[in-house]
Amino acid sequence: MTAMADTSSSSTKAKKKRKKGFEPRIVSFCCNWCSYAGADLAGTSRMQMPPNVRIIRVNCTGRIDPSFVLDALAQGADGVLISGCHPGDCHYTSGNLKMRGRFVLLESLVEQAGFDPRRVHLQWASAAEGDVFRDGVTAMVERIKELGPNPAREED
Amino acid sequence: MTKRVAFAQLTSCWGCDQSLVDLHFRLLDVLPELEIVYWPAVVDYKLKDLEALPDDSIHLGFVEGSCRTNEDLHLLKTMRKKSKLLIAWGSCSCYGGVQGLGNQWPIEELVERKFLQADSVTDPRIPESNMPGFLGIVKPNPAHVKFEMVLPGCPPTSDNTYDVVEALLTGKPFDLPERTVCDECPKEREDKHIVKFYRTHEGKIDPNKCLLDQGYLCLGFATIGLCGAQCPTVNTPCKGCFGPPPSVKDHGAKIISALGAVAEMSPEELKEAFPDPIGSFYFTDYAASYLSSITAKKRKEKEE
Ligand code: SF4
Ligand code: SF4
Ligand code: SF4
Ligand code: FES
Repeated sequence: MTAMADTSSSSTKAKKKRKKGFEPRIVSFCCNWCSYAGADLAGTSRMQMPPNVRIIRVNCTGRIDPSFVLDALAQGADGVLISGCHPGDCHYTSGNLKMRGRFVLLESLVEQAGFDPRRVHLQWASAAEGDVFRDGVTAMVERIKELGPNPAREED
Repeated sequence: MTKRVAFAQLTSCWGCDQSLVDLHFRLLDVLPELEIVYWPAVVDYKLKDLEALPDDSIHLGFVEGSCRTNEDLHLLKTMRKKSKLLIAWGSCSCYGGVQGLGNQWPIEELVERKFLQADSVTDPRIPESNMPGFLGIVKPNPAHVKFEMVLPGCPPTSDNTYDVVEALLTGKPFDLPERTVCDECPKEREDKHIVKFYRTHEGKIDPNKCLLDQGYLCLGFATIGLCGAQCPTVNTPCKGCFGPPPSVKDHGAKIISALGAVAEMSPEELKEAFPDPIGSFYFTDYAASYLSSITAKKRKEKEE
């Protein structure tokens, strides 16, 4: 019961809400040294990007506690995107590899709890890759639109 | 003046009571100062005896177990009404307990599994008459009513309960410590480079060295240190039964965070090493996790 439970069996009310133009709210944790700069570059080069993402800057993806991600989901974020330096390029050597290990466990935990693991995503994007960052965000928004609102989201 | 004390059991294994009775003769030190007004595990009291007491007339109300049925919830609310000080006693009461793991499935599925499909069932039927009815989800008791004190543990050690009773009798404060089981553990620790995790029956444990360093999932690092590290001391990895220290919001998230830092394994190997993350990381406190609260909201939306 993962993807199916999320999309097909939620109440008709939620479905109506989705039809009325559902705009996902996505929290993105970005590493300061790469993806945050990449996001900035995407902005300054005036690349088109969906406006659904709230970016939270962290010093390194290795500083992202898995509880931040779960907390964001429990508070109703429709998706969480983590963006860090490419493996081998972490400013602190291996923070991103620690994040990668945490991420697989987190993903498998979320899935076991009956929550669609596609709501959490990990990507790599360097400071020069504004386009990679933008593509990641766009793909994430598309994925979440398909999944619909987070079932834990309070009515707004 | 003697203190009026009550012990109530909700859905539980009664192990917390067992642990209290294990005080043996030390019970005699405190018993003269206590007047027992309700303790069905030991004395023949009925619910109506508790209901007949005046409100706020119990000085110390201990609640063991969590709410799986409507009757549990009624008993909990009655205890709250009758008690001046309410104590969540044991991990069931503080976090929901082992039965909180049931939150992974809707209650209908659990009932069918138990009463219709279990291998031991010969006359499959769901009992209906004189039943209190189940609650859809297990929550920590402090999410139902207000508590003045929490004492986790599955069960709390005899000493833990003794210390709490003593503190309550003398008016001394009793605060949960931030220390972990590792802080109380006698094993030698080294820099951690874990390349493989073992099940407890695999390999041979070096009794002098930290179990986690040897690749056994010992959760002492993420677990509040109240038990005196009793499991690792006898070479059994800590399962985290006391829950996390007070500053940690989600036990499993804390465990995952640490494993990501110490495991030198590929993502695939790491994933494979933990096929049941909920069961491994939230032995007694899944009902207190972020994910369980999401599930609760999700089911509520479905019902509407
Ligand atoms: S906390 Fe543990 S020992 Fe106490 S009643 Fe619950 S399951 Fe039993
Ligand atoms: S054996 Fe367990 S409790 Fe002891 S130091 Fe190692 S991890 Fe901590
Ligand atoms: S060592 Fe861990 S599992 Fe054992 S009693 Fe202490 S907290 Fe519980
Ligand atoms: S500095 Fe970017 S992920 Fe570590």
